[in-house]
Amino acid sequence: MKFSEVDVAVIGSGPAGMAAAIKAREEGAEHVLILERQEQLGGLLHQCVHSGFGLLYFGQDLTGPEYAHRFIEKVRDLGIEILLETMVTQLSGDRKLTAINRYEGMIHLHPKSVVLAMGCRERSRGQLSIPGTRPAGIFTAGTAQRLVNVEGFIPGKKVVILGSGDIGMIMARRLTLEGVEVKAVIEILPYVGGLIRNEVQCLHDFDIPLLLEHTVTQIHGEQRVEAVTIAKVDKHKRPIDGTEQVVECDTLLLSVGLIPENELSRMAGITLDPLIGGPLVDERRETSVPGVFAGGNVVHVHDIVDDVSWEAEIAGSWAAKFSQKGDLERKEKITLKPGRNIRSIVPQTISGQSDVTFYIRVKEMEEKVQLKVGDLYQRSFRVAKPSEMIKVDLPVKELKKLDGRESELNVECEKGE
Amino acid sequence: MVEEKIVCIGCPLGCETTLKMDDQGEVVKITGTKCKEGRKYVLEEHRSPVRVFTATVLTQNSVRPLLPVRTNRPLLKTQLKEAAKVLSKVKVQPPLRMGQIILPNLMNIGVDVVATDDLVL
Ligand SMILES: Cc1cc2nc3c(=O)[nH]c(=O)nc-3n(C[C@H](O)[C@H](O)[C@H](O)COP(=O)(O)OP(=O)(O)OC[C@H]3O[C@@H](n4cnc5c(N)ncnc54)[C@H](O)[C@@H]3O)c2cc1C
Ligand code: SF4
Repeated sequence: MKFSEVDVAVIGSGPAGMAAAIKAREEGAEHVLILERQEQLGGLLHQCVHSGFGLLYFGQDLTGPEYAHRFIEKVRDLGIEILLETMVTQLSGDRKLTAINRYEGMIHLHPKSVVLAMGCRERSRGQLSIPGTRPAGIFTAGTAQRLVNVEGFIPGKKVVILGSGDIGMIMARRLTLEGVEVKAVIEILPYVGGLIRNEVQCLHDFDIPLLLEHTVTQIHGEQRVEAVTIAKVDKHKRPIDGTEQVVECDTLLLSVGLIPENELSRMAGITLDPLIGGPLVDERRETSVPGVFAGGNVVHVHDIVDDVSWEAEIAGSWAAKFSQKGDLERKEKITLKPGRNIRSIVPQTISGQSDVTFYIRVKEMEEKVQLKVGDLYQRSFRVAKPSEMIKVDLPVKELKKLDGRESELNVECEKGE
Repeated sequence: MVEEKIVCIGCPLGCETTLKMDDQGEVVKITGTKCKEGRKYVLEEHRSPVRVFTATVLTQNSVRPLLPVRTNRPLLKTQLKEAAKVLSKVKVQPPLRMGQIILPNLMNIGVDVVATDDLVL
């Protein structure tokens, strides 16, 4: 393929990138190119050797590599072009893209449309500001996962995990099974950050203590971590005097959240959602820059991979259309307004002219609630939790009821009886 | 009477439930569940608390240090640690295909361990 002929360029080959590329190809885009900085397709899936992938998408409980495998085969079967070990370093507002690898050197592309699928990165200690020394032995949970599952290193013998996100809990189980002593999982909030399934199967199953409303206040050790001080926190998340205890350990894992990878998006002048950190998108997953689409964790962090694939298919499908037509018809926009107890909504705007899949996160855990999207949609939930994203499908025939009258739609979580 | 506490994972609520058993081990009472699906789940979890088992095994003569694996059937949760111990002593060599058995009849319980990825080189 001549690089001058690329119809759809996909940046990143995780579940999002592969699903977008496959969909774009299936919808008739001739030259689809995936650019991936790693030496293989699949993104994060390779280090997720546990199961829990694909229950919704395939109706089967797969491990990360098995889930990746199905998409990789399809990418190959469809004749999608792949550039591995290729890092995209620049993206401009008119879709000019620069990438670099050791075979071709610098590569300049001007694809007809682009799909961003760069995933997310983990928050690290710098963003947390825990006082203390700077010894070795502090890792993000995802880095530890890569070490243990791909590279074959055990990060330490006695581990404390800060944050009860899914990755942290999954690593608690994985390390325990590798013979490591996991001393405790420490969570500052009054509830677990990840899925209930992971709390039960990763922590309870192995009697790993979970300390809610606690945090790490100090790290001890010169060369290597020797201990951490933990303390209970009050409702403003401030450590309570006199509740400190020292826990001996040689390793601290941080599982304190993920943020969309947004360097290229910034470079291209794409408007970002200040709260989520990913690009603002419409229901086609088109960003503020025409012809640049986005899907998966680069837009907002998903809990499960099935949603990543589905969302990216939307982006891939519209990227194919854009590459064929040169532009998309844009109707007046309707903005989604987060109302009571709503933290975030993706997409942030819709046209009202095509089907919409919304992903909604609440701010606080609440029992017996009613989720409402304007007057168009209403559903009751036994419980709504920040850790479990809510997915809502609104077909275009429902949206037609708006009749172009509204420019805003309120999304809220009302308290039920 | 014997009691067992089980957290239901049927939905995000995560109800803390208690099962009471009579002397024959029959469940006579379930408290704490908030719905029918929840009762079904905790009964099943009481009878047979099984988990999908995944791990990695060391490789030889390969550019990759590890190969991810799983059992072809779920294990009882009480068998997980033992299974991990057994697998920590296993070494495999390329070429292997995803789905191929790398260790038959794990712990003599009639469960096979299979590769969850190809090991080409
Ligand atoms: C540790 C962990 C455990 C998880 N466990 C589960 C689970 O049990 N069940 C479940 O359903 N989901 C799970 N998830 C969620 C799921 O794996 C992720 O949501 C999913 O991998 C995100 O897909 P993605 O394609 O958006 O991003 P990624 O998989 O991160 O892929 C992004 C890709 O883009 C590439 N890239 C980035 N920038 C560039 C650039 N400039 N140039 C070229 N390439 C670039 C990266 O190398 C990477 O390959 C887990 C996630 C994590 C992090
Ligand atoms: S019992 Fe019902 S309401 Fe409670 S966690 Fe289980 S499924 Fe949810």
